[in-house]
Amino acid sequence: MTAPPHSDGYCRLETGATGAVLRLTGHWRLANLPALHAELSGIALEPGQPLTVDGSALASLDSAAANRLLTQLGALGYAFDRLRLVGFGPREMGLLRLVAERRAACTLPPLTRRGLRRMVGWHVFRLGRATVSTLAFLGQTAQALAQLITRPGLLRTRELAVQLEMVGLRAVPIIVMMNWLIGVVFAYLLGIQVQKFGANIFVVDGVGLAITRELAPLITAVLVAGRSGAAFTAHLGAMKVNQEIDAIAVMGLSPWQVLVLPRILALALMLPLLTAVADVAGILGAALVADWHLGVTPTTFFDRLQERLPLNTVVFGLVKTPVFALAIALIACHKGFAVQRDARSVGLATTATVVHSIVAVILIDAAFAVAYPEIK
Amino acid sequence: MTATLTAARNGQASPGTAALTATQTAVVAAEGVRTRLGGRWVHDGVSFAVPRGQVAALIGGSGTGKTVLLRELTGLERPIEGRVRLFGQDLAGLSPAALNDLRRRFGLLFQDGALFSNLSVAENVAAPIVEQIRLPADLLCEVVNLKLSLAGLPLEAAHRRPSELSGGMRKRAALARALALEPELLFLDEPTAGLDPIGGREFDRTLRILADSLGLTVLLTTHDLDTLYDLVDRVIVLHEGKVIADGTVAEVARAAHPWIRSYFSTRQ
Repeated sequence: MTAPPHSDGYCRLETGATGAVLRLTGHWRLANLPALHAELSGIALEPGQPLTVDGSALASLDSAAANRLLTQLGALGYAFDRLRLVGFGPREMGLLRLVAERRAACTLPPLTRRGLRRMVGWHVFRLGRATVSTLAFLGQTAQALAQLITRPGLLRTRELAVQLEMVGLRAVPIIVMMNWLIGVVFAYLLGIQVQKFGANIFVVDGVGLAITRELAPLITAVLVAGRSGAAFTAHLGAMKVNQEIDAIAVMGLSPWQVLVLPRILALALMLPLLTAVADVAGILGAALVADWHLGVTPTTFFDRLQERLPLNTVVFGLVKTPVFALAIALIACHKGFAVQRDARSVGLATTATVVHSIVAVILIDAAFAVAYPEIK
Repeated sequence: MTATLTAARNGQASPGTAALTATQTAVVAAEGVRTRLGGRWVHDGVSFAVPRGQVAALIGGSGTGKTVLLRELTGLERPIEGRVRLFGQDLAGLSPAALNDLRRRFGLLFQDGALFSNLSVAENVAAPIVEQIRLPADLLCEVVNLKLSLAGLPLEAAHRRPSELSGGMRKRAALARALALEPELLFLDEPTAGLDPIGGREFDRTLRILADSLGLTVLLTTHDLDTLYDLVDRVIVLHEGKVIADGTVAEVARAAHPWIRSYFSTRQ
């Protein structure tokens, strides 16, 4: 062997009378692993030659670096028991022995390529499972509701009261503010159009119809879906992760009676009330703009409103809200119950609740609009 | 060792010269730590020092603040009074950046593992490494697999999610993550809690081998008497906010304090 002695930072190969000697120097640590790897890869050894590894000049040695050394020497044909180790302290010897014993080959996971068939199959099965679990949830809820109707004593009044406050009372400020603002914006934009025809007073007809029939119910339902729907899912999901729902079940109570029905009832009771508040807030906002921008005084505004806005339209706007509420509460509670036992799944379920319930609200609204186009 | 023990005992009120040197050369040291939680003093002057290479256990009844003490020693919480030193540095005087540098030198095994649930086991172990060092994929994989096998986890488990593992495997995965950055010091919170007796003894054995071969200093909390006899060089007993005994398992088992008597008499 005539190769010149290797003299870089971490190891040096020398040829002595008794065979090759690999002298290790410096800090053999995880932080230097890329450099160690580069140097070790450069070592050329004739297989079969006895090899001595000298650690007397080592500053430090950790398990990752020891593993790299033994792996590289192993690849060159030097198993651990064929090495002559000199100059290592007792701790380093222990470390080398442990690493030699536990050393494992690198096993990158087999790259699972998702072909089209696999993707389609995966989604179909997921859809199937989701359908089954939705039906099961609906069935359980219906059963619990039937139980509650036959035995009203099962009603969890405390939980219902808490939920009424959480989804109803505490939502009033945001609902009033948002609907008032929508009323202002809508009346302002509509005003610009009707002014062109000198038909300022018609802003009342437009605003009254739009707010009570569509805007207030939709905006309120969307806000409640984002606010209470997300809260239901996150709360129930965290309870699921913490096994609290199982604890309720093993107490002989029904999680549906304790958790789901109070939420559904609270939302179904509160959403119409919130919408009524939203109607008033929106119309007040519109009346303000009509007075300030279009010269329609409040007296004229409300006289005209009474004349032109049939009660049926307002009632129609309110009637669809319990259906929205039902959809939001069912989706939110179902997603909460479907949470897996990890943190990520709570976030995914909460996102899904908000998206699904807003989509559901808009679809239901469209169905109502198509079913009763001529309502007056 | 004896010097450290006496130092730890005397260190509460007025640390003498012996105590000063002992706590400053120790890897972990608490000096007169006082902590108030829920309206009572959980720690009322707790002092001890663990020298390099020692495996020490904190024991005490439930609610004696073992986990809180561990959180204070790792800088997650601050004691109301007293000092905590890691590697001779007072944690209270450190900037956040310096504290983070210090934290890279120790590993902490949380009681429930605290594995990231959205990452696979291998990704969990790789997480602290990739934050510190740029490694090519094959070297990283090699390091991760080494840590997993050092922690005694079969490599098939590497690509599973933590939620798919049994309690014992989750502990081992968490141990592999705690070992990821080649720590000099390891904190373990109830390492064998929730494991079956066989799994618990195997885990103790793994820890003992790692402590000896990697030259680790270990501070653990435990309720497990078997862990004390299998693994631990030294026992520190917390009771009513104070250290009431400190020494080898045999020494502490002979102590006359009623709590220690009843603790050791649970083993038939």
